[in-house]
Amino acid sequence: MQLERIGVALRPRTAMEAMDLGSAMLRAHARPVWTAWFAFTLPIFLLCQLVAWFFGMPWLGLLLPWWLRPLFDRIPLYVLSRAVFERAPAWRETLKGQMRWPWARTVAMLTWLRVDTHRSLRMPMELLEGLSRSQRSARWRVLSRPLGGKAGGLTWMCLAFELVLFISICLFALWLLPGEVLPDSMRDLNQALTLPAFKHALVWIASGVAYLSMSVIEPLYVATGFALYLNRRTQLEAWDIDLTFRRLRERLLEAGVAGVLLVACLGWLPPSARAADTHPTPAEPATKVSIVQAFHQPVNDRDTVFASEAAYVYRDPAFGSEHKVSRWVPRSWFRPTSHPNGDASFLSAFFGNVASGVINVLAWGVLAVALVALVVFALRNLRVSVPKVERVMRKPTVLNTSTVHEEVIPADLAGAAGELWHNGRRREALALLYRGSMLRAAAALRMPAPVDATESDWLQYARSIEDSARRERLIAIVRTWQLAAYANRYPGDAEVAVLLSGWPAQQVAS
Amino acid sequence: MLDTMREIETPEGVSLRLRAAGAFGRAQAWLLDFLLRALFFLVAMSICSAFGRGGAGLAALLLFALTWVYSVVCEVWFGGQTIGKRAVGLRVVCADGTPVTLIPSVVRNLLRVVDALPVLYGVGLVCTMIDPSARRIGDIVAGTLVIHADDLPAGSKVPIVPSQRLPVPLDPDEQAALIEFAERAAQLTLERQEELAHILEPLTRREGTAAVTQIAAYANGLLGRP
Repeated sequence: MQLERIGVALRPRTAMEAMDLGSAMLRAHARPVWTAWFAFTLPIFLLCQLVAWFFGMPWLGLLLPWWLRPLFDRIPLYVLSRAVFERAPAWRETLKGQMRWPWARTVAMLTWLRVDTHRSLRMPMELLEGLSRSQRSARWRVLSRPLGGKAGGLTWMCLAFELVLFISICLFALWLLPGEVLPDSMRDLNQALTLPAFKHALVWIASGVAYLSMSVIEPLYVATGFALYLNRRTQLEAWDIDLTFRRLRERLLEAGVAGVLLVACLGWLPPSARAADTHPTPAEPATKVSIVQAFHQPVNDRDTVFASEAAYVYRDPAFGSEHKVSRWVPRSWFRPTSHPNGDASFLSAFFGNVASGVINVLAWGVLAVALVALVVFALRNLRVSVPKVERVMRKPTVLNTSTVHEEVIPADLAGAAGELWHNGRRREALALLYRGSMLRAAAALRMPAPVDATESDWLQYARSIEDSARRERLIAIVRTWQLAAYANRYPGDAEVAVLLSGWPAQQVAS
Repeated sequence: MLDTMREIETPEGVSLRLRAAGAFGRAQAWLLDFLLRALFFLVAMSICSAFGRGGAGLAALLLFALTWVYSVVCEVWFGGQTIGKRAVGLRVVCADGTPVTLIPSVVRNLLRVVDALPVLYGVGLVCTMIDPSARRIGDIVAGTLVIHADDLPAGSKVPIVPSQRLPVPLDPDEQAALIEFAERAAQLTLERQEELAHILEPLTRREGTAAVTQIAAYANGLLGRP
């Protein structure tokens, strides 16, 4: 490990901030992490589904990917640990690299450590440090002392996040159903839940959604645990100080050991001795040079660093550019204008203001009078008759389409529709049945037949019919008509016969 | 360099460092707030139920206030912290580091409707994962930021040893590193202390424990101790 190459800003952080650093790392290396993640986990996930299908136990498809998480976690950890110190590996490198990483600990995590809530913190330690058994427990004690609770809390929070995503995806899918068909779909769902095949399909869908939400949250979980680990080591080993010290050492060595030594000698002299030492010594030019070298900034007045910084700041549009601001301000008559020449000019400006105001008012008045006169003249002489606006709402008219004809509904609706149906004019038959049924339904509900009602309106009206058999038949007629009209799907003869029996197709004394 | 810090430079050349807070802390704070408000509402409702229909109206008003007014009042008049945020150590500020004002606070709290879609802040969660400063949509629109307000973990005091002047002038961050080393040396093992002090051998000209003490002496000098 070369600390100089670390790609993360090292500073003391609270545990909560370290967690946020984890999500920042994941954000910065999102592409390599997720490509490797999907390249590794998607085949395994599909394999799990295959196993579940083979054994006929769909719940295995939900359980196995959950159980294999410690295996999946190796991928983000590998990418991030490489990315922090060198560069992010491509997904092929990541998959090859898995061969070199120790597997014994992963096997342990897949078996007796599977329900350990500290996995996020334990994994970087065990996989990156590769310690022997005795060292490991001692190391874990040191590492986890202040972090055990945080790591456990992290596990529960990530679980909650996954649940939130899972429910969110399901709800979004549910929202795609139009609200009008939702009650019907729910009723159908109740019936469908009795079918085992449907239940299996639901479990497949659930495992797919669970995999999707796991793919979002699990890398975050690993990255956060890794960041906690990095932060704890920074704290234990003072990595940030180490890094600054190394830079300082390099600078001192570059500045020249001899110069540093001379300056050091000068610095170690007691102040009185330095004050007394007034005559120039031959070593002085050397010390001057080394001071300049030791300083990062020039000691003279022209500070070039500051000048360049200032120039950079002035390049900001907030400082360098001109703004033109126009706004309305309340006009005050007595506002003193700029009057550098004293009272006389102030008075003249005041009277000037008053005069211009009066002239303004007069001009506006003349314009108003002229406009009124023009209107009066126009009304009197041109005698334009103002048409009376009719405030009557236009009633929507019925459109003529191929299937809706201006024919009256026959009294024997069932007979007429049946005849059309048996003659092969199925569309016309259903249209007639629909139209006639709706008119009769409107009559039964004692309301005027609305000519602009859509099918979904009729479904609404139908729900207010009290007799359940009639209501169901009416709804069936609307649905049949919709399928025929919009999907070109026609029912069989038997179903049509059912629709044509009883009210509303046949007149029944109610 | 990866960091969650958002650095803001004032016109005076002072750099303010805002430590942006991510989804974990914010979720905790929200959960705390939610539980507190739910508890408060349940207690208030049991009292209100004694007053019949008028009480129900009062309870509805209270629910409205707890949902929409509570966060705004806490953020604008109590230092950008609701009770949950105070417990977790978070604070809401404007994107430029100034205290949050009324309009941004109202906007960010109104847009909770969007962030809370479809349930339990699903959109907000994804948004905090994507945004570099971990803001949700409400924060982005209102121009606000949630930051960590609690203090950084600090070391102990610099141990008092007779001070020494630095032999060469150092940059401010290098001076800070010397002081930091003296402060945090107690948290390090003895070997690690000596290892770190050994790096500065060109400065201290000492080895082992003497080098550690030497750096502590420089730190004392930098702090202006005798």
